[in-house]
Amino acid sequence: MAMGGGASFPFQWPSDPGLDAVALPPLPTVVPDAATGVAYYAAADMHAAMPTAAALPDFAAALAAMRREEEEAAGIRLVHLLMSCAGAVEAGDPASASAHLADAHAALAAVSPSSGIGRVAVHFTAALSRRLFPPTPSPPTPATQPPAEAAADHAFLYHHFYEAGPYLKFAHFTANQAILEAVHGCAHVHIIDFNLMQGLQWPALIQALALRPGGPPSLRLTGIGPPSPPGRDDLRDVGVRLADLARSVRVHFSFRGVAANRLDEVRPWMLQVSQGEAVAVNSVLQLHRLVADNSDDPPAAAPIDAVLECVASLRPRVFAVVEQEADHNKAGFLDRFTEALFYYSAVFDSLDVASGGGGAVDAAAEAYLEREICDIVCGEGSERRERHEPLRRWRDRLGRAGLAGVPLGANALRQARMLVGLFSGEGHCVEEADGCLTLGWHGRPLFSASAWRAEENNHQSDSNADASSGGGSEESNISCSS
Amino acid sequence: MGGPAASPAPRQPEQADVTELELRIQLLGGGVVGYNINDNADILAEILARLDGRSLAAAACVCRLWAAVARRDAVWEALCLRHVGPAPPAGPATRAVVAALGGYRRLYRLCLGPALDRLGRAAQAHHHHHHQVARAHHQHRLSLSLSLSLFSIDCYERLGAGTSAGRKPPPPSSLLFLCKPVDVS
Repeated sequence: MAMGGGASFPFQWPSDPGLDAVALPPLPTVVPDAATGVAYYAAADMHAAMPTAAALPDFAAALAAMRREEEEAAGIRLVHLLMSCAGAVEAGDPASASAHLADAHAALAAVSPSSGIGRVAVHFTAALSRRLFPPTPSPPTPATQPPAEAAADHAFLYHHFYEAGPYLKFAHFTANQAILEAVHGCAHVHIIDFNLMQGLQWPALIQALALRPGGPPSLRLTGIGPPSPPGRDDLRDVGVRLADLARSVRVHFSFRGVAANRLDEVRPWMLQVSQGEAVAVNSVLQLHRLVADNSDDPPAAAPIDAVLECVASLRPRVFAVVEQEADHNKAGFLDRFTEALFYYSAVFDSLDVASGGGGAVDAAAEAYLEREICDIVCGEGSERRERHEPLRRWRDRLGRAGLAGVPLGANALRQARMLVGLFSGEGHCVEEADGCLTLGWHGRPLFSASAWRAEENNHQSDSNADASSGGGSEESNISCSS
Repeated sequence: MGGPAASPAPRQPEQADVTELELRIQLLGGGVVGYNINDNADILAEILARLDGRSLAAAACVCRLWAAVARRDAVWEALCLRHVGPAPPAGPATRAVVAALGGYRRLYRLCLGPALDRLGRAAQAHHHHHHQVARAHHQHRLSLSLSLSLFSIDCYERLGAGTSAGRKPPPPSSLLFLCKPVDVS
């Protein structure tokens, strides 16, 4: 296990995760010393200077370099241990898995918790141990907490995650730009938000609509969210605040809250889409929770299909979708684990830099991500909700549901780049591909934003003033709500 | 040397000197034709509108008149519009919206100022690395629409802090990220 030495090893995530693909540093070669016959190790590729009898600063620098490499080596060792543990879990070998896990715990001590791999490894190790040794119900998990408290906790973590990194801001701003462009010229706009939370996405859109050339439209917002505990109406509170803001900038605004625990419980008739409205549907990190297990064969009818059908039946001007760009819905545990490990370490790295570097990441933002990690590692079957899928698979799915892609345009790209550039300019990047925008960290895509609309049928017109198409969609709404 | 009556027929080479001296004497004497910067608040506003953010804030500490003039939103509007580009024609609608959200002075203090500082630091770091003058470049990396969007989110969050039940502490402002030091190395 002597992976130390003077070899320079750029700590880079391999593009194809898997034990075979991990490039191990070249083993130190043994070179017998001709003079004294004592073998000493010389690295194949010497990068750091070995401590010579030189001045003290050189020695200190060399020592620091060696320490860095030791840490990197320890990090690699830790990753191997975690992956071996995951492999043992997949193979159904709990004894070997817990042995690897114990080793991983020990290796964690050698890795600094503020470095790249250290922090994310803590969470994955904790998740693995939770999976192998499920805790007794006394500590409240998100699943067993009373739903009201869980929702409040989630809102708190979500808000901190919103503040800490550019991801949610990127999502909101890009979706808003897509909506703004799609409802250009419409006098009545109805937005359906699949997950209202505190409504942080909408002030910017309200302001942009207020300044729209030609004057603001009349805006309706339907916010979907979990039911509130008795005595409170969180959805309505958010609506009231948004209405205050809209009133101050003179945008005609009305709000309606739809309380539902799951998106597939929402029926089209609940949304009360009126004739003549331009409908925009907004989904930020919601669709992946509705996807079913890939392992079912033939794949069971998933809630996602019902929801997409509902969306398509609304005939929206635009359906803005933002999702994580990762493949965490693989059937095999080891594959999923490895993918998640690489994805979340990129996210944690980027969060670290966005928070100013030096390990000062907001604990609540980290806890938000930790919940996702726990869900991906520990959840199985219907328990697992974080089923992230890459954009190409969303494209297929949305295409099958009768939705066509709408390219996001240069304005959205420019705005996203400006926004992301306000954070540490180094590292975060916004790329455009096939009309979709992707926010990435050092080339590793993390979140993708895209826009869709209902495909044109030959007898339906796109105009929202067409009476016959309005009538047709109403009928289909009624028939859907069985 | 006497009063204005003593000014002789101006001799050509010294005409400028005489005129300036005459005016100086009139100023000291509180004459009608004087140009004191404090005489006309609108002219003072025009001048202050050409300052940068920090200087403007410092100018507000000079005296009560300057504090009042520096508080005019039009002065901060000029400053804000100078720093965002390409400059759209900011009509009365924009002014009304910005006023509703809190005014240009607040927009600069909360959003534009910190953002420009941050971009300036980034540009300087790049300047050291790449030996390019990126200052002009960075000034136009902010658009008015983006700043207004961020501003509206902040305004909305403060709305919520005022009316939410005392159960939770007020939520952190989403513009705080602009004030955090950023490692641009």
